[in-house]
Amino acid sequence: MSTTEATQPAEVGAGTPAIEARNVTVRFGGLVALSDVSVSVPPGSIVGLVGPNGAGKTTLFGVLSGLLHPQGGDVYLAGQKVTGAAPSKRARLGLARTFQQLELFMGLTVREHVVLGYRVRKQRKRLWSDLFTAGALHPASDEENTRVDRLVDLLGLTSVANTAASVLPLGTARRVEVARALATGPSIVLLDEPSSGLDGHETSQLGAALRTVVEEERVAMLLVEHDVAMVLGLSSEVAVLDFGVRIAYGTPDEIRNDPAVRAAYLGDDEAVEGTHEDEKL
Amino acid sequence: MLQFIVVGLVFGSIYALAASGLVITYVSTGVLNFAFGAFAFFIARFYYFLHVEKEWGILLSVAVSLLVLAPFMGLFFYMAIFRFLRLSSQLIKVVVTIGLSVVIPVVAVMIFGNDEIFQAPGLAPQPVSVYKVFDTAVTLDQVISYACVLGIVVLGALILRFTEAGLSVRAMVDSEAMTSLSGSNPSRIAAGVWVVATMLAGLAGILAAPVIGLDPNKYTLLIAAAFAAVIAARLRSLPVAVLIGLLMGVAGSLVQYFLPPDSEVTANIVPAIPFAFVTVSLIVNIVRQGRVNEEEGVGGALDRAITPNGGSRLAASTDSENLYPKLNFVFPIVLFAGICILPLIFAPYWQSLMVTGVALAVIFLSYTLVTGEGGMLWLCQITFAGVGALASAQFATQHGWPIIPAILMGGLIAAFIGIVLGLLTIRLGNLYVALVTLTFGLLMERLVFNLQTFANFGAGVAVARPEFAAADKDFIYFALAVFAIFAVLIVNLRRSTTGLALNAVRWSENASRTMGLSVIQMKMLVSGLAAFVAGVGGGIYALSFKQAIPLDYATLLGLAWLAVLVTFGVRSNIAALLAGLLFTFSPAFIQTVLKLDAPWSDLPILLFGLGAIALAKNPEGTVHQQAMGFQKLLHKASGGGGARAVPAATAYAGRHDARLHPDDPAPAPEPSQPGGQAAEVAGS
Repeated sequence: MSTTEATQPAEVGAGTPAIEARNVTVRFGGLVALSDVSVSVPPGSIVGLVGPNGAGKTTLFGVLSGLLHPQGGDVYLAGQKVTGAAPSKRARLGLARTFQQLELFMGLTVREHVVLGYRVRKQRKRLWSDLFTAGALHPASDEENTRVDRLVDLLGLTSVANTAASVLPLGTARRVEVARALATGPSIVLLDEPSSGLDGHETSQLGAALRTVVEEERVAMLLVEHDVAMVLGLSSEVAVLDFGVRIAYGTPDEIRNDPAVRAAYLGDDEAVEGTHEDEKL
Repeated sequence: MLQFIVVGLVFGSIYALAASGLVITYVSTGVLNFAFGAFAFFIARFYYFLHVEKEWGILLSVAVSLLVLAPFMGLFFYMAIFRFLRLSSQLIKVVVTIGLSVVIPVVAVMIFGNDEIFQAPGLAPQPVSVYKVFDTAVTLDQVISYACVLGIVVLGALILRFTEAGLSVRAMVDSEAMTSLSGSNPSRIAAGVWVVATMLAGLAGILAAPVIGLDPNKYTLLIAAAFAAVIAARLRSLPVAVLIGLLMGVAGSLVQYFLPPDSEVTANIVPAIPFAFVTVSLIVNIVRQGRVNEEEGVGGALDRAITPNGGSRLAASTDSENLYPKLNFVFPIVLFAGICILPLIFAPYWQSLMVTGVALAVIFLSYTLVTGEGGMLWLCQITFAGVGALASAQFATQHGWPIIPAILMGGLIAAFIGIVLGLLTIRLGNLYVALVTLTFGLLMERLVFNLQTFANFGAGVAVARPEFAAADKDFIYFALAVFAIFAVLIVNLRRSTTGLALNAVRWSENASRTMGLSVIQMKMLVSGLAAFVAGVGGGIYALSFKQAIPLDYATLLGLAWLAVLVTFGVRSNIAALLAGLLFTFSPAFIQTVLKLDAPWSDLPILLFGLGAIALAKNPEGTVHQQAMGFQKLLHKASGGGGARAVPAATAYAGRHDARLHPDDPAPAPEPSQPGGQAAEVAGS
C-alpha cells in the first residue's frame, strides 16, 4: 500500500494518463475479484471497460474511487499515487463517478444535485461559511448558474430540474448522476452503466452529451457498460475483464475480433463457430 | 465468590432471555423493541395480579400469563402496529416502540392500580426454598432462572434447527422476499416470532420481579442494559446474545466481590459494565471489519432491490402535497406570533408553565437538528441538556459567572462531548448509534449526574435567572428569543450549501465521499451544533425551575421527549415549540381544568404515547399532517384552481416538511413511477 500520497490538485500532463490502475489485486476472502489488473485512461478520451457479470468491473471502480482498498497494486491520478487516499480526497483531485446502483440524494432536487456538485469543487468555502453568514440568502454566482444550467440542459434534465430525485424514473435518475459527477469539474469520470434503464433515444442523447463534454472540456472517462454497442461506439480503447482478469485491451475493432473476448461472452464453442451473436460485439 | 456468581447468573439469565427476545424480533421483522421492558413489566404485573391478588396457584397463573396473555399481546401488537412498520425508517420503528413503552405502564396502572410493589414472588412457592451447593446458598427462584435459560436455549436451538417453523424463520432472516416467493407467508412467521418474543419478555419479567420489584422504570433500565448484549451480538447472533447476557450478569456481580462493597468506585463501575461490553464489542468489530452497520447481511439482493432507497434512511425532504408552499413559511411565523401573545393574556399559573414549555422547546430543537436535519438517531440529547444545565449552574452559582456566559459555556461543553461522541460513532449504522447513545446517556446519568457536586442529595444546584428575565413573563420572552435564534439558524442551515451537503450525506455517504464531501466533518458539525443547542436549552430549562436538578435529565425521560417531538414533527421548528408547550400544559390542564384524578391524570402521557404509536401509519407527524389538511381545505374552498400543485421539491429549501421515509406515498409530479428505480433494478 502506498504511503506517498498526492496532496496537490492533479494536473494532467501530456502523455500522463488521467487515471491508471497498475497491477491491482482485490480478494474477498477466498474469492479473487481482481487479479493483477492494469487499466489506464489518457486525458480527453473515453476508455470502455466491459465484461460479463461478476467480471470485476464494479470492484475496479471501487478501487479507483477509493471505496475499496486493493490487496495489491496501485492507483494513480494524473501520475500521482492515490492508492490509500480517501474518496473525498480523490474527488478533490479531479475524480468523479456514478454508481451502478443509484446513489442519489433523495431529499434534493435535480438542480440541487448539480449545484452541490459545483459548489463542493468550486465554492468549497460555502460549505461552512453559509452556516454563519446567512448563506441561505446568498444568491448563486453567474458562473455557477451558467455552468449548472448548461449541464442540466446537456443531460436533458431541464424539464425536471426542480423535481425531487426520489420520484424520478430510472433513466432520468442515471442522467442526474452523470450531471452531478460532471458538475464537480472533474478531469476523469468513472461511469458505471450510465445507460442502464435508458431507452434508445435517451441512450443516444447521453452518448452525445458525453462526447460533447470530452471534446469541449478534455474530460477523460472510464465507461462500464452492458450496452456493448454504446461502449464500442464511444470508446477509443476498450479493456475486457473476465473473472477478475484483464483478457483483452485494444481498439474497438481489435476487441470485436478478439477470440478471447468472444469466448468470454459467447462460450468457447459458439465463439469458434462465429455465429449470429456477432452483432453483439 | 460462588455466591456472587450465583446472584450474577440470575441477572445474566434475565439479560440473556431479554437479549434473545430482542434479537429474534429484530432479525425476523427488523424492529428493535424498546418496549420490551414494558412488555415484561405488564406480564409480570399480570402474573402478580393472578397469583398474589387473586390467589391463583403458581402453575395456573404462569400458564395464563405466559400461554394466554403473552401470545395475545404479541399477536395484538403485531396486527395493530408492527406489521405496518416493515418498510418504515428506523426512527419511526424506534419511536413507535418508545410510544408503546410509555403507554403500557399507564394502561397497567389503569387496570391494576397504582400500588408500588417492592417485593414480588417469582416462580418458586413461598417461602422460597434455599439449597446449599458447595457451601453456597442457592434459592429455588435462582435455580428456576437458570433452568429457564437452559431450557429456552435448548428448545430454541431444537426448534430452529429441526422443525419446519424453525426453517421458515431462518429462511425469513436470510431473505423475506425469497421466503415469500417460496410459498411461506412472511406475515404469519412474523406474527409467530412476536408471539414467542412476547412470551420471552413475560418470562424475563416474572423472573425479574423478585429481584427488582414491580417498577416499570426498573424494567426499562434492566432491558436497556440487555441492549448491550444485543449490540455485542451485532443485533443478529442469538448464541452470542445469550452468552454475553450471562457474562454481563456475572461480571456485574463479581465486580462487587472484588471491589469494596460500599465504595463510590464500586457503585460507579457496576452500571458502567454494559457500556464497557458495548465499547469493547464495537471496537473489536470495527477493527475487524472497518464499520458496523445494521444493514450488513440483512436480506438478499432481491430484498434490497424491493426496498427502495434502503430501509434505514431517516428522513426525506420532499413534499408533493404542498399546494401552497408559501404557507409553509407563513404558518410557523403566524403561529409563533400567536404564541408570543400568550404571556400577555395568561394568568401567572399558566405563565409559570409556559416558562418550562418554551425552555423545553429549545431542547427539542436539538432533536430537530440531529435527527431531522442530520438524519442521526441520537437518544442522548437530554444528556447534553443535562450537561448544559449542570455545568452552567456550576459556573454561575459556584464560580460566580454571569448566567448568560455560564449557559454558553455549558453549551460549548455539551458540544465538545457531542463532537467526541459523534467521532466515536462515525463508523456505526443508525441503530447502533441509537443504542450506543442510549447507553452513553445512562452511563453519564449514573457516573456524572449522580456526583454530589451536581446532585446535592437530590436538590440540585440553585441558579438565578438574569435580572432582565427574573419575572416569568420576561423569562418567557427571553426563552422565545433564544428559540427564535436557533430556529432561524436551522432554517438557514436547511436552505444553505451546508444543508445541501448534510442532506447529501444523509442519503448516500458513498456518493458524498466520491463527490468530495467529508462525511466526518458533516457529522461532526451536526452533532456539535445539536449538542450545543441541547446544552443551551438545558441551561434555560434549569433557569425555568431556578434549579439544576440531575433527575430532570434522566435518559429514559429523553426517550419520551423524542417520541413526543417526532409525533409532532421532527423536521419542523414550530412543531418543537408546540410539542414543548403541550407537553407542559396538558398535565396541568387535565388536573386543574378538567379536574381528573388518577388514573386519568396520566391521560396526556397515554395520548402522547398513542400519538407516537400512530406514527406507524402516519410518519409525517401531527403538525405536518394538520398543515397539509389545512392546505387541502383551503384549496377546496378556493375552488381548487387558486394554486398550482407544486411538484415534489420545487418548494423552497426551507419548506416545512416531515416526510420520514422515501417509501411514504408521494404522488409523482412527472410521468414517472415512484419507487420505479428499485422496481427496474429488481427486474434487470
